Amino acid sequence: MQQKSEKKATGPRRRRRRNRLRTCRTDERTMAQGGISGGKLFITAVYLVAMCRAVPVNDLLDRASQRSDKMHSLSTLLTQDMDSHFPPYGRMQMPRPADCHTSGLLTPNDKEQALQVSESDLMSLARSLLRGWVDPLAVLSTNAITLPHPAKSSISSKIQELQEHSKSLADGLDILSSKMGPAAQAISILPYTGGTDLGQDRVTILNKFNFLLSCLRRDSHKIDSFLKVLRCRAAKLQPELC
Amino acid sequence: YSPPGKPTNINCRSPEKETFTCWWQPGSDGGLPTTYALYYRKEGSEKVFECPDYKTAGKNSCFFSKNVTSIWVNYNITVVATNSMGSTFSNPVDVDVVYIVKPNPPEEVIVNVTEDKDWPFLQVSWKPPKMADTRSGWITLIYEVRLKLENENKWEELSAGQRKNFKIYSLRSGGTYDVQVRCKPDHGFWSEWSPSTRVKVSEYLPRERSMWILIVVFAVFILFISIWMIYMNFHSVKHYLLPPVPGPKIKGIDKQLLKSGKSEDIFSSLVVSNFPPTTSNYEDFLVQYLEVYIPEERELIMDEGKDLQDDGFKTENSTCDNDSGRGSCDSHTLLIDKGGGDKEDGQQSDQEGSQAEADTKSHEEALEDELLACSHENAQIPNISNEKEKVKSCPSLFSPLPQYSLSPVNQPNKPKTGKQHCLSDSLFTPNSLSSYFTQPDPSNTKGFRSNYWECSLDHKQSHLFHPQRAAHEALQAQNDLNAAYVDYMEAPMDVHALNVRPTEYVEVQRVSDEDVVLLHPVPPSHENSCNVSHQTEDYSRVRMVNNNNGLLLLQRDAIEEEKNMCPYEEEMVSRATSTGCRASITPTLQNSATGINTALPILDEMAGSGYVDTATMFGLPTY
Repeated sequence: MQQKSEKKATGPRRRRRRNRLRTCRTDERTMAQGGISGGKLFITAVYLVAMCRAVPVNDLLDRASQRSDKMHSLSTLLTQDMDSHFPPYGRMQMPRPADCHTSGLLTPNDKEQALQVSESDLMSLARSLLRGWVDPLAVLSTNAITLPHPAKSSISSKIQELQEHSKSLADGLDILSSKMGPAAQAISILPYTGGTDLGQDRVTILNKFNFLLSCLRRDSHKIDSFLKVLRCRAAKLQPELC
Repeated sequence: YSPPGKPTNINCRSPEKETFTCWWQPGSDGGLPTTYALYYRKEGSEKVFECPDYKTAGKNSCFFSKNVTSIWVNYNITVVATNSMGSTFSNPVDVDVVYIVKPNPPEEVIVNVTEDKDWPFLQVSWKPPKMADTRSGWITLIYEVRLKLENENKWEELSAGQRKNFKIYSLRSGGTYDVQVRCKPDHGFWSEWSPSTRVKVSEYLPRERSMWILIVVFAVFILFISIWMIYMNFHSVKHYLLPPVPGPKIKGIDKQLLKSGKSEDIFSSLVVSNFPPTTSNYEDFLVQYLEVYIPEERELIMDEGKDLQDDGFKTENSTCDNDSGRGSCDSHTLLIDKGGGDKEDGQQSDQEGSQAEADTKSHEEALEDELLACSHENAQIPNISNEKEKVKSCPSLFSPLPQYSLSPVNQPNKPKTGKQHCLSDSLFTPNSLSSYFTQPDPSNTKGFRSNYWECSLDHKQSHLFHPQRAAHEALQAQNDLNAAYVDYMEAPMDVHALNVRPTEYVEVQRVSDEDVVLLHPVPPSHENSCNVSHQTEDYSRVRMVNNNNGLLLLQRDAIEEEKNMCPYEEEMVSRATSTGCRASITPTLQNSATGINTALPILDEMAGSGYVDTATMFGLPTY
């Protein structure tokens, strides 16, 4: 496995040179779409321009992992907001998390399995999950406004923020995956079939909302874990981080 | 007895995201021994499993090993308490391992006290808990450090991020600190604090404080020294900063006297006793010398610079005519004729005479200020037309001569020497002398000021006693010029003699206290030799000028000797002495005419025709 990973490590490097220019542009786009403030954008742009030909992967991974970390934190807060006013017993009637629309994606279940996954696969998994949540997030966002919940404003803002992070992370991962080879760029489609309408009654809506949020929490954690594993694998020069 | 109570508080924790442990709190046991069993069910499966390990984690716990642990899987855990009466199920709990991560505290916490240039700081370093796999990135830990002084209760918490070392500054000198570290996974629970590490910071004196101490000591030292120095030189410093104002001091005036307010004393003190000088010690005032002025071409006596005389003068033929009135070479007439062309002749004769005179002129001391006076006079000779020449002559001893010089007489134009003697021949301003010699011209208010004068007779030549101090006396017009001359007593005789001997001299015998100059006519001897000798010797030195500006002429011893040689002269001398040529030589200032006035009466008596003829004065037959 290690040899395989080493092989794969050399591959992306060669391809990296070819895709350097594209990377630069996509990098800038990512940063622009990330919603960074004007100053940060400028600095980032300058940095990118200066380092366009030598943006280190580990640095990109670090940024991606930070964004994913933020996403997971937001989702955790969302569930907490939901639980503050949603009695726990109601959750028992909820569909189990195994019913998440992303459960079809095979992900490692323990550490050994996770560490054996190649970087490209890890990246692919992360990207697939991320892609799979674009639609549900939109549904959640629309339903959060009319959510019969006292903390719906907070929930709504968090969901919007989640959407932004998700988008910027997706762009960043696209750039990263382009440096990692075609295997990393393969995405599994995880369609969401829940529909835009969460339900008619309050309980249904809340239950469904809650369910979606729990699925989101797990998937965001997966993404974050995968990226952090990738980050530590790429940061051979910075052992202090890992 | 009852069935056991429901176990509660099931909480599970995973230290490394690989295993986890659940604890529960058992309820009442119902009085019967109760056993607890934990059952769990994974999501997506209905299979129920029982806790594999009840012992590892202690009592009322269940430890899930790696084999049975799955992540991203919900565990539905239920604890069942069972006793003989029955069993009680606890509430199920859903657990996802990834959400319950609580690592162990960091290990190997090392705190170093680093002495960095008197500013010590703590260096804390640690290691992640062994079980947490941070190398692979499975777990990402962030750390936190806290410290407190051993005596205090409040901890200061500092976030260290993902680093495994930390520096703490701003420590208290000599303090003892307790340091602890804990960690937390990115999405998990904080670990427990590591065991406290105690460290002592050594005592240190802030360099800043020691420097300030040095500065203060130094400044105090300098202050002391400066104060001491000022104290030692207090007076000079005070004198420098506040210089004393000079008080008024007038010699002879006593300030206290002024303050006393006695006017008599003040005024008396103002009046200097010895001013103006009242002593008749003429010698003390001999600061000026008379310069006898010879009319026009006449040179004047010089100082004992005989050279001038010798050079310049030769015996001349007197050109005086035989006219009695003019026999004495009345300067007055000369003056009148000055404008005319006769003058030239007269001048010539004068020149000649002067030269001769020079030899016989009484020796006078001449001061350089004569020249000055002369030059002054020269400057003030605008009126006289032909003064130019005379003016020029002034500076030079015998300068006038050249202008007139027609005679072969060597005109000892020796400017150098001449300068010494101002032949202010042009200056018939010998105001002073003329006053008494010639007609007492009322216009001649100016007394002659004679620094030295010579009584010399010359028929044709009038000796102008040129006061040296006539500088500021404006030259008068010709008419005003009074040539004073002393006619030789024995003019008649001299007339003839003059032809032979051009000059006749009057010897100043002495000056009486009444400011009368007693002239002692030098009797001309028929013999030239005698005269010559006389000429050469007949100098009277002005001894002093008395307070009334009278001249005191010294009598030459030589003159007396000469007299002896010439018996005839002696006779004359004796006669002369009897009568004496009286003249008051009063060098007067511009305004003082006292001398003249005093002289005038005398002259008036004698002068009949308006000019003084010594011959008449002395009763000598006049020609």
